[in-house]
Amino acid sequence: MTTGLTDLKTLERDAFRKFYDDGIFDIYIGAMLITMGVAAVFADQMQSEALSMLLTLGLAIAVTVPLLLWRRHLLRSRLGEFKPGPARRRKITKTRLVLLGSVLLGILAFVVAAIAYRADSDVDVAGLVVPLLWFLNSMIVLGAMAYLLDVPRFYAYGVIVGLAMPILIWPDVLWDTRVAPWLAFGGPGLIVAAVGFYKLARFLRNYPVLETGVVADGEA
Amino acid sequence: MAKPEQGQATVTPTVDRLIHEPARLAIMTNLYVVESANATYLLQQTGLTWGNLGSHLLKLEAAGYVDVVKGYNGRKPETTVSLTGKGRDALLEYRGQLLSALAPLAGD
Repeated sequence: MTTGLTDLKTLERDAFRKFYDDGIFDIYIGAMLITMGVAAVFADQMQSEALSMLLTLGLAIAVTVPLLLWRRHLLRSRLGEFKPGPARRRKITKTRLVLLGSVLLGILAFVVAAIAYRADSDVDVAGLVVPLLWFLNSMIVLGAMAYLLDVPRFYAYGVIVGLAMPILIWPDVLWDTRVAPWLAFGGPGLIVAAVGFYKLARFLRNYPVLETGVVADGEA
Repeated sequence: MAKPEQGQATVTPTVDRLIHEPARLAIMTNLYVVESANATYLLQQTGLTWGNLGSHLLKLEAAGYVDVVKGYNGRKPETTVSLTGKGRDALLEYRGQLLSALAPLAGD
């Protein structure tokens, strides 16, 4: 039994961090990257960007929804549920704002790339700027999540995910060497997913399903 | 603050003995850092059994330190527990009492 004779901040942080020990978020990030790799293969083979995007979206939904539903059940049955205190709620709100900012940055990058393409800009926006924005976005989002949610391994994911796009595009632009898209995205995706499956296995072993219910009146 | 029970040692006479018990201290500190939590969360965090948890929650509830709400989460019955204002103050006071009690040992 833990006596609670510890620093309260550490107690709160460790309790909250347990909810990311299930590895499902890791599997989710890995699956998203693998999906992007698969989408690139679709795009190469189908010669239809619309169909490829539809298939990618379908794959993403097929992967995401069951994972998130299962995660809710997994955490509830093994760790229980809690409402965070004010300090943690502020951190969660900040994390959401960072995610919203990330979406806005993504839209901005898309618009800038489209404008530059139409304007026939001297700077190779699609080849140089977009991968850089992707890298920065990934570092900012996953770095902020690592800091605000107290999950340090997300810093590493920021780098791994962030490098996928530059690895795909920069060798082609700078040295005329093409890296296969399934490798550029699938490789990092497999690494992150593998970490996720390892953590999931440990989570299932370390946190058994707890009996749920009410504490009975007069229970002794 | 709960009064010392008869026959108990008086080495730390000013410490709240209701909170001083390790299992209840674990419950109180775990509740202090959240707004509320269900019983499963407390079981996981403290490592207590259902019986022990129930017994300690009854004592804490009787002292007005915790609020215990029995309800449903979907179709499943669920106990939700939160620290009351009195409980928060008592835990902070206990911390002060413990630090004062241990202060003479500082520098040994």
